[in-house]
Formats: sequence, structure tokens, C-alpha cells
Amino acid sequence: MIYDSIILGAGPAGLSAAVYAKRLKLKIFVLSRDVGGQAIEAYKIDNYLGMPGVLGVELVEKFSQHVKNLGVEIKEGIKEISILPSSQNSFGVKTNSGEFETKSIIIATGKGYRHLDVLGAEKFEGKGISYCTTCDAPLFSGKIVAVVGAGDAGQDAACQLKEYASKVYLINKYDNLRGDDQRIQDEIRNSEKIELINNAKVAEVKGDKFVSSLVYQSFKNNEQKEIAIQGIFVEIGSVPNSDFLRNLVDLNEKGEIIIDHKTGATSKPGIFAAGDVTDVPEKQIIIAAGDGAKAALAAYQYLKSK
Amino acid sequence: MIKVYSTPTCPYCVTLKNFLKEKGFEFEDIDVSFDQKAAQEMIDKSGQMGVPVSDIDGQIVIGFDREKICQLLKIEC
Ligand SMILES: Cc1cc2nc3c(=O)[nH]c(=O)nc-3n(C[C@H](O)[C@H](O)[C@H](O)COP(=O)(O)OP(=O)(O)OC[C@H]3O[C@@H](n4cnc5c(N)ncnc54)[C@H](O)[C@@H]3O)c2cc1C
Repeated sequence: MIYDSIILGAGPAGLSAAVYAKRLKLKIFVLSRDVGGQAIEAYKIDNYLGMPGVLGVELVEKFSQHVKNLGVEIKEGIKEISILPSSQNSFGVKTNSGEFETKSIIIATGKGYRHLDVLGAEKFEGKGISYCTTCDAPLFSGKIVAVVGAGDAGQDAACQLKEYASKVYLINKYDNLRGDDQRIQDEIRNSEKIELINNAKVAEVKGDKFVSSLVYQSFKNNEQKEIAIQGIFVEIGSVPNSDFLRNLVDLNEKGEIIIDHKTGATSKPGIFAAGDVTDVPEKQIIIAAGDGAKAALAAYQYLKSK
Repeated sequence: MIKVYSTPTCPYCVTLKNFLKEKGFEFEDIDVSFDQKAAQEMIDKSGQMGVPVSDIDGQIVIGFDREKICQLLKIEC
């Protein structure tokens, strides 16, 4: 069987694309690691039209019900994908869970955390190193922790953690706090629990079974210093999930898929993209959903013209 | 017996619990955010300082690992 379109990723962009494509009666299939994507992790969402204050999980549940009620098939648990142009008019999509053939593809694989890339960091993931502050902060009651990265997300993490931890080091690569949120920056500066370490980067994570210390290096004099801590919360930004597309479609220097913003078309005819994985400057749920719809409509026009 | 160690603010915990409910499984929901003893029990059992962790008849699953959970529950997913 050859699908009209295979949608990769089931976050807001992929799910919205699925609604539009299904209603246009395209034969579609959605392949994804999970349903919801980053929107699950957005704890409380205040800027989605018509649903102020909705929890990320609730919004995703609504998206997912909508799509499932239309009879769209979604396959979760997909980790590895490779795309092989198989003939003039179709593509092969190979995954850890089967191979599929399709006339067009909509890529909506979004973004994921940038992982800390220093000695010991991989070994201690889940063993003191966390990428989800909202999830794991309560487990560090009375403990000493560090937040790596002092952008908006890192500042927010430090403030959440001070409610639980006995001490929070905030490691900042710049020489002062940046960002627009003065209120949170004042909260950090005035907190007795938070110690801001400016001009520094993490050099190593140490421990036995669990994390027990962190070594940081100053950008000023290159001196290294070791601090005893039990938890590390990493907030150093995110990267587009586009590794599997190298050599297939054009990516920009950040690894984002370059698209035509009228249609979501990539550099490869028949392959469209939408949402956070693309070079759209604003990474927001409502924008991802809108762009998903746009890509599905463009894929429909593409199929019709064939 | 199924135990889910979670925190109220952890989105993947909610997803995991909804999944179990949807599939018709009962479970004990342990909130480790205020129960320090339960938190330690979870860390000892799993070697993991992160939620969610589930204990399915003594087998430990870290995170919302759908594949592994389905395998242990012997269901299609
Ligand atoms: C903590 C946090 C808070 C946020 N708060 C807000 C907010 O309040 N308001 C707002 O508008 N936006 C918010 N955002 C941003 C918003 O979540 C994203 O802009 C939006 O989710 C992007 O949608 P997407 O569909 O493009 O990508 P994603 O949501 O990233 O979804 C990508 C999908 O692709 C799947 N996938 C990825 N790689 C692969 C692969 N290799 N194989 C198979 N499947 C794969 C994933 O499992 C996922 O289902 C927040 C984000 C975060 C992290």
C-alpha cells in the first residue's frame, strides 16, 4: 500500500496536519515517538486561543482525541527514521517499527533538549541530572542542586527549585543575568538560597551511583572549582530533531529545515515540514498547529498536481 | 500489582497514569513530592532520581516507556 502522505511527529504541528489531511480524504499515517511532543512539557499554557490556563497534558489530550475521532492511525514508539527516495513519485520511510511507502511526507518532529556534553553527563542522566525541573524538583527536598544555563528557562528552574532545595547554584555563561523578566531576576538576586555563578561553564560531573559534585570552569581565568551537589538541572536550550534529514533536505546552520513559508515546502519536492523543526522564528503551539495545517493543504495541492 | 511513583507537576506522569487507566489497569499512585520515605524507596528500587517510575509486579520501569510497560502488562500497544 502506498500512502498519500506520512506525517512524522505527533506534536501540535503533526496532529494539526493530520486533521487537515484526513478531512481532505488523504490516505495518511502518523509515525511518532510520542503524542503531544513538547506541548506535554509546557506545564500551564496561557496563550493558546480560547483556552487560557490549560495544562499542556490537557491540551494534548484534546488534540489527540480530535485526531483519533477522525480515524487517523498513529504509530507511537518510533525512534529511528530514515527516508529513501524510492522512485520518481514516492518515498520509502524506514523505521524501527516497519517500512512504509508514501507519495509525500510532512515532517513535524519538533525540537528536543540540548544535552549537557561534558565528562560524566551521560552516565548520570536520571541519576541526579534532570532535564525536567517541573517533574523532578520535589525529589531534591533539602538537597544542594545546580541549574546549568541561566536563560529564561534556567531562571525559572532556579526559582522553582528554591522552594525545595536547601541551596541552588545557578551557572551562567554570561557576566550577568539576561532576559526580559525583571521580576524573576530580582527574585533570584534577592534569594538567600540561590547563588549565581557568572562567566562559567560546567567542565565535569562526578559521582558514584548518583551525582555528588560538579566541576565548573571560569571563563575569566580558566580556573576550575568543584562544588558538592546532589542534583543538576540542565536548561541549555533545545535542538531541532532533524539529524535524520541531513543530505536529504536543506537545513540552516542551526539544523532547522529551511521551508517556503507560504507552503511549508522543503528543498525536496514532495517533502513538507511544519512547526519547531523548521526555520519559523517563533516556536509556539498555535504557530506550529497553523503551519501543520498549511503543510497539509500544500501537500494536497502537490498530490493533485501529480 | 502496579505502583506508579510520580509528582503532581510531572506531565509524563499524568500521561502514564492516563495510559494505564485507558487500558483498564488499576494502580497505586504514590506522590513522592511530599512523601520523603516513598521517594527514597523509589530511588533505591530504581537507581533513578527522576519520575515517573513504575513498579509492575516487581519489575521497574523508568519513565513512560510505553513499549516496556505494554510488554510487562502483556498487552498490544
Ligand atoms: C517547557 C516548555 C514550555 C512551553 N510553553 C509554551 C507555551 O506556554 N505556549 C506555547 O505556545 N508554546 C510553548 N512551548 C513551545 C511549544 O511546546 C512548541 O512550540 C510546540 O510543541 C511545537 O510543536 P511541534 O509539533 O512543532 O513539535 P513538538 O511539540 O516538539 O513535537 C514533535 C513530535 O515529533 C516526535 N519526534 C521527534 N523526533 C522524532 C523521531 N526522530 N522519530 C519519531 N518521532 C519523533 C515527538 O515525539 C513529538 O511527538 C513550550 C515548550 C516547552 C519545552
